[in-house]
Amino acid sequence: MSSLKRVQQWATFARIWHIYDASWQNPFQSAGLLKKYLMGTYKPIYHPLNDCGDHVVVINSGDIALPGDEWKKRVYFHHTGYPRGASWTLAWQLHKKDPTLVLKKAVYNSMDGNLQRRYTMERLHIYPDANVPADIMKNISNQLATPREVPKRLDHYSEKEVEEFPKIMDYPKNYILR
Amino acid sequence: MALQRQGLNLLRRISIHGTTFTNRTDVRSYKRWVAPTLKELNIRTKKIGDTGEVKPTPRSSFLEWNYDAEVFAFGKRLGEEFNQDLLRKALMHKSYVNLQELQGNAVQSDGNTDLIKKGEDIISKYIQLELSKKYPDVIVQAIHNYLTDDNMLSHVGVHIGLKDIILTPEYPPETATIANTFKAVVAALEESSSLENCEKFVKDFVLAQLNGKEVFDIWEPEQPYKYLKGIKSDIEPRLCNQSAAKTILANYQVGIYSNKQLLGLGWGESVDVAKDMAALNVIQKIYNIK
Repeated sequence: MSSLKRVQQWATFARIWHIYDASWQNPFQSAGLLKKYLMGTYKPIYHPLNDCGDHVVVINSGDIALPGDEWKKRVYFHHTGYPRGASWTLAWQLHKKDPTLVLKKAVYNSMDGNLQRRYTMERLHIYPDANVPADIMKNISNQLATPREVPKRLDHYSEKEVEEFPKIMDYPKNYILR
Repeated sequence: MALQRQGLNLLRRISIHGTTFTNRTDVRSYKRWVAPTLKELNIRTKKIGDTGEVKPTPRSSFLEWNYDAEVFAFGKRLGEEFNQDLLRKALMHKSYVNLQELQGNAVQSDGNTDLIKKGEDIISKYIQLELSKKYPDVIVQAIHNYLTDDNMLSHVGVHIGLKDIILTPEYPPETATIANTFKAVVAALEESSSLENCEKFVKDFVLAQLNGKEVFDIWEPEQPYKYLKGIKSDIEPRLCNQSAAKTILANYQVGIYSNKQLLGLGWGESVDVAKDMAALNVIQKIYNIK
């Protein structure tokens, strides 16, 4: 094998590290997107027995946005294995305990339950905020586009911007704003 | 009762021989293949002797060996018209002639020494001529050396059926002997037919060995970047991409630019390797090699 062929192989099987900002993202929609990169199904060399999945670093998992009233209605079931060991945890409770778990479980459940699933999950690195270890940050070479735009709240606009925003009417001088 | 006694007898017989099979349950039968196999193995071991090598029997030692027919068939098999005397001369080595003279046998020929020299020239010239149409001198020389190496020529020689018809005292003939005989056969073909015909033969059998090979499998500059710098001085390497830098699977992509134009790309587990590979990629493009 010539050295050019060797590095071609090396580059073909290189693992890419992606970063994904989960703030204001639906974890269940994100799971389907992240799965593709974790398993490497987007690659032309993909095969179920081919170890070609990428790494994904997810930041701001504490700021995910569940659709509708999912925070209140979604229930995570756990059983210790002992009698009366069943427990039901609401999504908001689980999120309070560990802000990475809702997303992690969403990704885990989006994949088929086979022997590869746990190894694929090892390539998913979730951080509740933007504090990522420097060694991990140095690996990253790609940012994944988020499916939803992050909305900007009124309190994020500066006073000047609010002032300059075109209004359809002005309040009368003597109008008292409560 | 009788059966039990027989079983006891068997047990006693086994223990007499010095081994007791405490864990043995049932023996269905005597294995009648064991003794003949051991005997045969013993015979074969004695035949090999102390060296541990099995000496191959030359085909020519067989009773029905017909050298004339073999030599005639050799040419016909290759689809070439050989002058039979020349072909016989090409197959006869000087060492064989010497041995025959020592034994007092009259031999007309004086060996294939001159044919070897001539054949070598023909092969060498033709290969260089053909390759220089496509490649620069460095590569021509490297591929020429690869193709005219004794190992390569003897490989060709063995597979066109030279091994058994070479006349030489040694058997099996050495690599160099087979390679030399092949050269002599080429020269014999040139004298039998024409140079053009002979060159076609070299093309079919020697040049065809490049099939499935890439130039970089045979030739590669030791320090590609330095080599490229020698050809083209105004180049500049740039790191284009990198991934997983802090892991064992780190991958870097380096591009080589000249006048803000991308000349070639290379990958590697470190920046230096990637730089060299990019240089190889550029060399590939400059020399137009595949």
